[in-house]
Amino acid sequence: MAEPTPLLQVRGLTRRFGGLLAVSDLDLAVYPGEILGLIGPNGAGKSTTFAMIAGAIAPSAGEIFFKGQSLSGQPTHAFAARGIVRTFQHNKPFDSMGIEENVMVGMHTQIKHGLWQVVLGTAQARASERAARDKARHWIDFVGLSDYAQAPVGTLSFGQGRLLEIARGLAAQPELMLFDEPAAGLTSAECGRLAEIIRGIAAQGIAVLLIEHDMPFLMALAQRVVVLNFGEKIAQGSPVEVQLDPAVVAAYLGQVKVGHA
Amino acid sequence: MKRSWPWLLALVLLSSVAFAMGSYQNDVYRKLLLWITLALGYNFLFGIAGQVAFSHFSFYGLGAYSVVIGITYLGWPLPLAILVSAVFCMAVALLVAIPATRLEGFYLALATLAFAQLFIVLLNEGGQVTGGTGGLANYRLPDMAGFRITGPAYTVVIVVLMLSTLAILLRLDRSHFGRACRAARDNPEAAAAMGVDVRRTRILAYTLTSTLAGLAGMVYAFVDNTVNPTIFGLENVFLLLFMIIIGGIGRAAGAVVGAVLLYLLPFVLSPLIGHHHALVFGLVMVLVVLFQPKGLMGVWDALMARRSQAVNSHADKDAKVQTHG
Repeated sequence: MAEPTPLLQVRGLTRRFGGLLAVSDLDLAVYPGEILGLIGPNGAGKSTTFAMIAGAIAPSAGEIFFKGQSLSGQPTHAFAARGIVRTFQHNKPFDSMGIEENVMVGMHTQIKHGLWQVVLGTAQARASERAARDKARHWIDFVGLSDYAQAPVGTLSFGQGRLLEIARGLAAQPELMLFDEPAAGLTSAECGRLAEIIRGIAAQGIAVLLIEHDMPFLMALAQRVVVLNFGEKIAQGSPVEVQLDPAVVAAYLGQVKVGHA
Repeated sequence: MKRSWPWLLALVLLSSVAFAMGSYQNDVYRKLLLWITLALGYNFLFGIAGQVAFSHFSFYGLGAYSVVIGITYLGWPLPLAILVSAVFCMAVALLVAIPATRLEGFYLALATLAFAQLFIVLLNEGGQVTGGTGGLANYRLPDMAGFRITGPAYTVVIVVLMLSTLAILLRLDRSHFGRACRAARDNPEAAAAMGVDVRRTRILAYTLTSTLAGLAGMVYAFVDNTVNPTIFGLENVFLLLFMIIIGGIGRAAGAVVGAVLLYLLPFVLSPLIGHHHALVFGLVMVLVVLFQPKGLMGVWDALMARRSQAVNSHADKDAKVQTHG
């Protein structure tokens, strides 16, 4: 069997903050429909890597290829149009809008009619607005927020806010979805529901990349895990392989520091 | 068809009022309609797109001056003057927006305030073109195909302007563009992550609303048949700001209510307390900001919520009575 082509290919990714090398020469591949976990001790460069793949910050060196095309120099908003969306660790809803409108913002890149059609109220503009609303309801339903579809965002709990982030991201019809510590701040019941949803997303063929601190949550969910430490990849493999890797054990116990000192 | 009848009804009602009024009332009514038009646009810019810009009234002046300069100094026919003025307003708005929308909050306010100030300076120093401090007068609306639109008929033009502005802004508000504007205001980082080009959205919102203000200015030019720097002074944009804050920021209905209230207030208060009505303005403003940041629409929402609650509990009581009976 031929090796499947990766959806996302990261080559030699590097990011410096002044004298600090946050991420150094990182290679990474994400395949369609897989759940890839990115872990590492605090300061390992997970968040920086995440931010670069999400288009929030530009790499100092190296390149990110998505579906074979380089994303170098692309502005943040171009990433969603290409099929990469993210959630935020601290929920970032649009407070002045309802749940439905929040999710509809996710569809922004798919709306093809121009402003003149909106102003003239053409049939196409109205039909596509209706379709967007229907789709929003579908994703709200998918994450289980149907009972709140008309509610203001402020009435949601933190966990429900996380689900809204996911619905909003899915509305963009991504091929790669990035989760920034999705389990942070959730109750264990909510974590269970979240894991189910993430599996459901991957089952639709959407690749999932998540960074996570909650090891039991991640290990049960991810098919593959990449471990970072001091901005470099120190291990990768199945959750079981990674957990037994001496380099990983050492990194988490803090012994690698000695070698670097 | 079904959706257009409320608009037609509004057009007929608002227009027929003009024919029932004398020339003084018509003048007041026309300016009220123009204030509503401006407040609606400013509400979109400030209340929906979240841009703290103080240039809105300057574009009103820009539209008025350019159409008058077009028909007098340049001797153009009216349709050409209107077209060129609209394009000119749009171009100036783009020119201001491209650097200014890089700025946020306080700095955008400063940049647009500087533009508004510069505009007044240019009007005063414009020599023959702008008529300097005295402005331009001695012109009137050119005849259109042999017809002269005056009196209540011109008021109808303003009604059409106001309703079109309202319709355009409502449609934009309820579209992907309106959502993008709100998203860019609420959380630019999340908006960009969802594919919204935040800068482009801001530039578009600024240019669109400023051009609408310019259009209103063109219509205004033939209300008093004079334009001068004093009319377009800086204090006006603050009155616009007060209108949308008192009415309820981000709500078209709030902009209408705020504009009606603040424009008509001096007419009611002046006979009673003379020029002290400015004091009442200030006081109302402070009270609103302190106690009801959502403005009068916020008060209205609270009343409606209480009423529906009362109706519900009443219905509950009825239900209980019935089960007991």
